[in-house]
Amino acid sequence: MAEPQYHRLTWGQRRRSGVIAFCCIRSSLWLASDHLLGLDSTGYSESYKRFYFRDIQAVTIRLSRRRLIWNWVLGVPTAICLVGWGYDLLVSRNMSLGGIITGVTVTLLFALPLLLNNLRGPTCVCHLRTAVQTEELPSLGRLAKARRILDRLRPLIAQAQGQLAPEEIPSRVQAWTAAATAARAAGEDRYVVDDPNLPPRMVS
Amino acid sequence: MFNQPDLAPCPACGVPVQVEIFPALFRPTARGRGGEALMAERESSCFYHPQKKAVVPCQGCGRFLCALCDCELHGEHFCPACLEVGRQKGRITRLENKRMLYDGVALSLAILPLLIFYFTIITAPMALYIAIRYWNAPRSIVHRTRIRLVLAILLATLQIVGWGIGIYFLTAAFKSHG
Repeated sequence: MAEPQYHRLTWGQRRRSGVIAFCCIRSSLWLASDHLLGLDSTGYSESYKRFYFRDIQAVTIRLSRRRLIWNWVLGVPTAICLVGWGYDLLVSRNMSLGGIITGVTVTLLFALPLLLNNLRGPTCVCHLRTAVQTEELPSLGRLAKARRILDRLRPLIAQAQGQLAPEEIPSRVQAWTAAATAARAAGEDRYVVDDPNLPPRMVS
Repeated sequence: MFNQPDLAPCPACGVPVQVEIFPALFRPTARGRGGEALMAERESSCFYHPQKKAVVPCQGCGRFLCALCDCELHGEHFCPACLEVGRQKGRITRLENKRMLYDGVALSLAILPLLIFYFTIITAPMALYIAIRYWNAPRSIVHRTRIRLVLAILLATLQIVGWGIGIYFLTAAFKSHG
């Protein structure tokens, strides 16, 4: 079977799962003709997860506070540097060339990432759900990018599955929820999903 | 809340979310098929279940399979044994979920030890060996060039040549002094 051609959708972003993985694993998304490939790379090995368009049930985007946290982490040192600059310029007025270069470098070290963090827009956490798993997509960490990728995937998924008319969504969701509740009450679910990344646990 | 163009607060926790759902969410879970029993002697039977009617041949080994043994993978039909062998040996690419990147290993062995140059006397031959040994091994599923292997061979060769020249001059210096 020939290997499918992949086109890059996102560049690698760190997968936040454990201390070592935090440093090493980079996750990216690739597009093939009939599926989305989630690729986790350590540089020495790669692991793949394929999400076929016909199997994707839902994509969720949830706003996160990561941008706010980084704004504080980078903003406080930037503010301290700027206050130092202001004090030197207004009060002491005896800055040497070496002092100016060092000051500018240190200020830019915090100010540039701060600027970039805000230019890239709000942060989010994106999940993709299929019948057998719910997978986080770490490379979709910014709202603008997540929406751009979702806009690109939507027609491909619609081509594979068809489309839901907006007016039928509430009734279908209601019926689906009711059916799931009824099945649970009737004891049809003989398994429990403790962890979406592990096989279900049989309960009867 | 579903399939809206903007974020909306989650009814449970209030965090702004955007939820896009697709028809697959409402699709009932497919139940596994059981094989049909043989009704006439002239009908072909399954290789694994002689009492069951064959419905399709395996595209890996050609054995007849009943509906229970038929594992369909993107329009192709395999028996469980061929599917497992195909997955293990990487013949069915769509089932492959992990790959070793030998080009990355070789390049790292050629570059990283340069920080402490003395290590390269061991790591350069290792990098050269790995690059040549795994020249034809499957690389990343998404990157297809051999540039890392080529760079690893070039760097490792340069390091080995450097060590060779160094050892030659060192020996010559010892001889001239001795």
